[in-house]
Amino acid sequence: MIQDYLILSVILFSLGILGVFSRRNVFAVFMSIELMLNAANLAFLAFSRLHESMDGHVLAMMVMAVAASEAALALAVVILLHKHKGKLDTNVFSVLKG
Amino acid sequence: MFAEGLFIAFSALSVLGALGLVLFRHPMNGAMSLIVTMISLAGLYALLSAKLIFVLQLIVYAGAIMSLILFIIMFLNIQDSDLPEEKGRFYYLLGGLVAIIPIASFLIKLVKSIPESGTTIVGNGFGGVKEVGLVLFQDWLLPFEIVSILLLVALIGAVVLAGKRRMIK
Repeated sequence: MIQDYLILSVILFSLGILGVFSRRNVFAVFMSIELMLNAANLAFLAFSRLHESMDGHVLAMMVMAVAASEAALALAVVILLHKHKGKLDTNVFSVLKG
Repeated sequence: MFAEGLFIAFSALSVLGALGLVLFRHPMNGAMSLIVTMISLAGLYALLSAKLIFVLQLIVYAGAIMSLILFIIMFLNIQDSDLPEEKGRFYYLLGGLVAIIPIASFLIKLVKSIPESGTTIVGNGFGGVKEVGLVLFQDWLLPFEIVSILLLVALIGAVVLAGKRRMIK
């Protein structure tokens, strides 16, 4: 049933938010964001199946493209941060506050 | 009946993988459990008869993005002593649960009001490459071009940030 898929999507999204809340490791925060994007994709595809139209598939592909570009940029920033500070703590990112 | 069993197995696996991501301390273990989540989500997409997105999830997400993350984790050679101390993370987790559970239960209640619908496999090439491509290049042409510009910007940004060898002060 469609509702089960959407409930699973809500659960995965909540787990992603919990990961962003509770972790201080940069990689864990980043992968939690990926998890939230995946939950959104699941909701897109479930609604697309419900209405039997394929717009949700196109949106899911675009979310994948956004996730890929986000991964490239975020990992570049993490490499720079690790090179300069030697740490993986999100508190180190407070130098970006300006 | 068979599809429901598959749904239960895949959803249990994906929730377990997400829990592992939140709870494991070392990012390598977290990345491995996230890969489990991605692959079981690909199975769920196949159950939703989204054939193209199923393949893309396996190739792009579980293949390309996760191997990029794993490559960076291995490249940085993270030891246990490099990891940030996360003493209070279980308290943060509890606080986050207290904040999240009302919102999530509200959303689940909202979702349950959606009319009932079966999830049998749809025929007529629903979700195939040709059909999704037709929708993509007819109705979604402008967003597609904007996404391509976004990818170009990300490419240039990554090269500018990480590619240049700077002088270490």
